[in-house]
Amino acid sequence: MTPRCPSDLALELFLLQPERSPESSHVADCPSCASRLARMREEGDEFRRFVFPRTVEAVEDAMEKRRFRFHWSFVVAPVGALAAIALAVLVPSGPPKDYEYGVKGSGMALAVYVNGGQGTSAAGDGAKVPAGAALRFKVQPAKHDCYLWILSIDAKGEVSRLYPPAGKDPECHDAGPVPGGAVLDGQPGPERIFAVCAPTKKVVWPEVKAAVEAVAKGGPERVRAARSLGGSHSGWMQASLLLEKQP
Amino acid sequence: MAEAGVPSRERAAEIYRTYGPAVYRRCLKLLRDKEAASDATQEVFVKLVRDIAKLDDPAIVLPWLYRVATNHCLNVLRNRNRRGETPMELEVASDVAEAPFPDRHLAGTILAQFDEGTRAVAVGVLVDGMGHEELAGALGISRKTVERRLARFLERARKLVSGDEP
Repeated sequence: MTPRCPSDLALELFLLQPERSPESSHVADCPSCASRLARMREEGDEFRRFVFPRTVEAVEDAMEKRRFRFHWSFVVAPVGALAAIALAVLVPSGPPKDYEYGVKGSGMALAVYVNGGQGTSAAGDGAKVPAGAALRFKVQPAKHDCYLWILSIDAKGEVSRLYPPAGKDPECHDAGPVPGGAVLDGQPGPERIFAVCAPTKKVVWPEVKAAVEAVAKGGPERVRAARSLGGSHSGWMQASLLLEKQP
Repeated sequence: MAEAGVPSRERAAEIYRTYGPAVYRRCLKLLRDKEAASDATQEVFVKLVRDIAKLDDPAIVLPWLYRVATNHCLNVLRNRNRRGETPMELEVASDVAEAPFPDRHLAGTILAQFDEGTRAVAVGVLVDGMGHEELAGALGISRKTVERRLARFLERARKLVSGDEP
């Protein structure tokens, strides 16, 4: 940053309204500002993918001055060892209605909650959702040793890391809501979400990513058909759920 | 930006989506902790979203939000400091590296002893590297007030550093 470079606040205004910013000509020719802007965009993306989904409801509630309008309600369905799935859905206060149960996979269950601007609801497998919807997750591993990864793959074969965030190692995860969330990329088409319990924290991101690519990369139909990881990963606790992103 | 109108959850989400990244970045810079920055961002919006909904010009909203976020995060840091948690540290703007402070930690410790208005000026100039005129606009005060608060901050800070003031 040089003395001529705009302040962070000026760059924020530039990001919001580049056409109105007096800094446009400077930042176009300034490598230092380009680097700062790149970092700011990266952090903004972090906000949109992880912070926004987790915190937007509190802000929405504050707008209505009904901060406790929403709460997590738990419904337990004791249907045997693996099927003893505790499900949570975000519902308005009052009697619960229209529960949806997410998916039961191999050794674990995954529930995906979608907020597409019309309120939050649990998505079923193959659900049609707004292409830019915000997502939150809840998992129910059957065993305690669950080093949780959540990731998704789209029709272009792009794999997105949803949990844990980049830079963090997986942690042993019990049943319950997963911190953070994600926002879909706005592109119509299938997006398959995988929740995977690695047996050890030594399993690293490239391995998990490669396992998903191996079964689901190669176009929309492969994404739709790839319900579980194969090969040496087939024994992992895992669940997946397909979302069909709609314009 | 949608027009300001009847407050609604959708409008709140839109406001949060628009300005949230800026506030998050601000909090991340000051708090240097993603979880704390996430919490602080939410708290700022919970406090202000109804007021923001009445405004529609980013050139007005953003500096105001920035100021509130700065004060909020500085309070978080001050409270942390008082509880003896992580020492208050601030990332000083590179072009003010010659600022007369021995190190960042000391700067943060000193900063925690001032009122909000003075801290906002000190952080704006010494941490963000903002010009006096720009900072005055962002804080909604005169340039003279910026200069006066900065001078007061520097004078007392020097005394604190030299041990002339307890």
